[in-house]
Amino acid sequence: MIEVTALTMRYGDALAVDDLSFAVKPGVVTGFLGPNGAGKSTTMRVILGLEAPDSGSALVGGRPYGSLKKPMLEVGALLDAGAVHGGRSAAAHLWCLARSNGIGRGRVGEVLELVGLADVADRRIAGFSLGMRQRLGIAAALLGDPGVLMFDEPVNGLDPEGIRWIRELMRLLADEGRTVLVSSHLMGEMALTADHVVVIGRGRLIVDTPMPDLVERFQRGVLVRAAAPRALADVLRASGASVREEDGGLSVTGLDAARIGELALGRGIALRELTPRSASLEEAFMELTEESVQFGAGRAA
Amino acid sequence: MLDAIVAEWLKLRSLRSNLYLLAFSALSVLICAGVTFMVVRGFDTQLGDNRLRFTSLGAGMGNGLPVAYFVMGALGALSITSEHATGLIRTSLVAVPRRQAFLFAKIPALAAVTLVAGEVLVFGMHFVTQAVLGDRSGQVLIDGRTLGASLTDPGVVAGLLVAGAAMPLVAMVGLGLGTLIRSTAGSLVALIMILFVLPIVVQTLPQPTGPQIGSFMMANLPDQIVAGEESGILSPIAALALLLAYPVVALTAGAVAIAVRGRGLRPLLVGGLMAALLVSVTAIPSSAAAATLPWKACEGDLECAAVQVPVDWSKPSGRKISLRIARLPATGTHRKIGTVFAVPGGPGGSGIDDLKKSGGNFTQLRQHFDVVTFEPRNTTDLGVIPFDCFATGPWITVPGNRTEYDRLAAKNRKYAEQCRKADPEYFDNLDSGSVARDIEAIRDALGGEKLSLLATSYGGVVATTYARLFSGSVRAVYIDGGVDHLADPAIHLRIRYEAIEGQFARLSAWCESSDACALRGRDVGAVWRGLTAAADRSPVPVKGTQVAYSGFDFKVAAAPDVISPGPAPDFPNWQRFARVVDQAVKGDASGFADFVEQATKTKKVPSFRGMDATHCTDGTGFDSYEEFQRMKALGQQFSPNFAGNELWHPLGCVGWPAPVTNPPKPLPADQLPPFLGAGTWTDHADVASAVSGVPGSSTVRYNGSGHGLYLTGNQCTISHANRYLTFLRLPPKGTVCEPPTVK
Repeated sequence: MIEVTALTMRYGDALAVDDLSFAVKPGVVTGFLGPNGAGKSTTMRVILGLEAPDSGSALVGGRPYGSLKKPMLEVGALLDAGAVHGGRSAAAHLWCLARSNGIGRGRVGEVLELVGLADVADRRIAGFSLGMRQRLGIAAALLGDPGVLMFDEPVNGLDPEGIRWIRELMRLLADEGRTVLVSSHLMGEMALTADHVVVIGRGRLIVDTPMPDLVERFQRGVLVRAAAPRALADVLRASGASVREEDGGLSVTGLDAARIGELALGRGIALRELTPRSASLEEAFMELTEESVQFGAGRAA
Repeated sequence: MLDAIVAEWLKLRSLRSNLYLLAFSALSVLICAGVTFMVVRGFDTQLGDNRLRFTSLGAGMGNGLPVAYFVMGALGALSITSEHATGLIRTSLVAVPRRQAFLFAKIPALAAVTLVAGEVLVFGMHFVTQAVLGDRSGQVLIDGRTLGASLTDPGVVAGLLVAGAAMPLVAMVGLGLGTLIRSTAGSLVALIMILFVLPIVVQTLPQPTGPQIGSFMMANLPDQIVAGEESGILSPIAALALLLAYPVVALTAGAVAIAVRGRGLRPLLVGGLMAALLVSVTAIPSSAAAATLPWKACEGDLECAAVQVPVDWSKPSGRKISLRIARLPATGTHRKIGTVFAVPGGPGGSGIDDLKKSGGNFTQLRQHFDVVTFEPRNTTDLGVIPFDCFATGPWITVPGNRTEYDRLAAKNRKYAEQCRKADPEYFDNLDSGSVARDIEAIRDALGGEKLSLLATSYGGVVATTYARLFSGSVRAVYIDGGVDHLADPAIHLRIRYEAIEGQFARLSAWCESSDACALRGRDVGAVWRGLTAAADRSPVPVKGTQVAYSGFDFKVAAAPDVISPGPAPDFPNWQRFARVVDQAVKGDASGFADFVEQATKTKKVPSFRGMDATHCTDGTGFDSYEEFQRMKALGQQFSPNFAGNELWHPLGCVGWPAPVTNPPKPLPADQLPPFLGAGTWTDHADVASAVSGVPGSSTVRYNGSGHGLYLTGNQCTISHANRYLTFLRLPPKGTVCEPPTVK
């Protein structure tokens, strides 16, 4: 459980986080979304006690991070895969971290196995690829077997196989009842992983909602291509849908794809295509954050 | 916290670069070896006195230590700057969110590693230096130090331990700086500034500001903590406090900075207070309030002042006289050890004149001491008694019977009374005991610190008297060519006769081989014995006068020339001796009379009343006619060539009007530090006998002629004396100084 309440964080004149409140619940994967510079990383840094907020609070399990005696047993975090000393081996790096929180040495081997770095455990980190470093960072986050996990842009630099591995891992962690917060600036990525999304822009909360609700909100009808478009249009209209011609097909709203299929079958009309359409999540995300984009390219008129 | 500490130990251990850095610190040992090798090469090409001019390598860390300090400081700095450079700091702070705890958790591992490495390094540097020096290590140098120093030398082990223990402190400074600055390069530059650049820059500041500021520099502090031969400016406790203040300040600054960055500023009051406390210790004055004597510049480096003393010490509140004192103030930047008090000889010499003439010989001693001296109350030209009275006296004859003895007594008394009537109270109080009490009054006026005495010739009697009367005021006693006031008279007599006989044998040997000797080819001993024996029966006239020389007169006049041949290789005094003896054998003693007259304005050597005024009250004279006879007989037995010569001083006291107030008495040996003596061929036995009264004392024997070694600038003797006076280290018994090689 992570609770962020009325959090405000300033860097000089710039307002990085502006009266932000949200909660991250256990058992689900929460996506933390926003364009670059929206304040995601800052918020996570505040949660981890790396920054002190100007006002508001960020609590983990009801307590400020800084007051945790052995924080790694309660919170695991991957903030920056580069935050390691290249001169140490993966195992030594993890062992140093583990020891600082009283975690046994055996756990180091376990997490290395878990992230797939067991074979390179004794190699210096300096020789690791970005993907390997991400896995190492995740291993560090898992060391204390914590109930709360935070990953800042975890898929950066991972190959498709790695990306899938991360998704499955987060899914698994959430299914074990843990609180999982994953930040990203790519909505599409989140669509496949997150059960819940928190979207922020310019440090302010934009949406805090379950993923299906977000999908629902941006529903755009069903595209149908049929051998007899006119006949089908009449049938659908008769069932209460509104239909307009579009690009040689029919754009149908008011009926879902399953019902359309049943009606077409009933009339013996062959369907060539039946595609439920929503605004892509990317589009939805762009829409949501449009006003808050700080570093967006100048818009065409 | 323990978890964090262990984790930091793992961090330190798991980086190979740290191991390389520690290995690099071995360079400091190599530097010591290299520098020492160069010193040894230079040393071996030098001879004699030039070797005394080398600078001591001390315990042998000098050149490598700063390098070792830098490596340890770098290790400390890197332990945090490398986290900043790599970004690991973010991971670390997530694991250990309490920032100051995170910083302080680094201390134990870092301290342990650098302490062990530091001690290994300093002992490595020491042993390597000692190994390269070999037996040159014990060479005593002009400043009293030795070229090297072994573990058995006082303060060396402690000094090494302290230098090694300073390594973790430097590492802490590095850690604090690294935390403050965050950048590796910046921290290393700051370390270089603190350890290397600033100490060099302050050296260029004028005296005494430069050395004073220099003494506060971290790299210069460990040396000042141990009271070994590396004495500093600060007191040991102040140096220790300051050395600890450096890491406390640096870590406090670092801890504040790291907390401020997390916006969790908690003022580190403890650190601030500790630092303030430690630094304030250095403000405690290292010595007691300075004495209030109004010193005035008087000649060259000399400063002069005056001290009032009672004429008669048995009446302290009675009449006072003023004694001039002078000092060559300490010049060194080192912590002052105290005062060396130079006691002049004579009796009748002025210590101030000695310092005017020979002050240059005290250059090294002045690095640690004020050199103070005085014009003793018995100085011949002090003026209370007219100079002409003190500088002259009756001619002494050797009594042949009791009647003649009594007649001599009457003559002596008549002469003495001529002087005494000018100021009887003063005249009767010219003994060395009164002089010693004057020194004690001067010591009080100087502030009451213990004195280190440097006594020349008859000053040895004053010094032993002082040591007997004021044993608690004595730090060290160095007696140079001093007279033994304490030995059994018969033993003393034999020592004196053996000395002059030995010298006469050397003169004879020289004469056999030198064309400059007027008696060459003849048996000098036989000629001399013939002359003196004949003259005792029938005195040899001084042509053109009524004066004639007895054998005794010849001996008294010749003895100074025999004892002091003058500079090698000409030995002008021996040449003169041979010339005037040759002339006397031919029946004319005017050669003797001429040079005696040049020095004394009379044709025979007079018994100087100024000198007698001290000799006689110090108990130089005979107890009785019987003792005179016994000593006379012993002289015949001891000395074929100079029998009777040693009667001259005591015979001057026969009939002396003032009582013996300072007779010889044994020293309270158990209350005194061992003495050092130094003497030439003719002085050494006497000096050795004089210092033998205090167990553990030692001597330096100079393998040559002369009288007085420190004031005449004998470098080898000065080295040993400086070592004794400065560090209280005595040369081993049997130490010999050879004459300087002729340029």
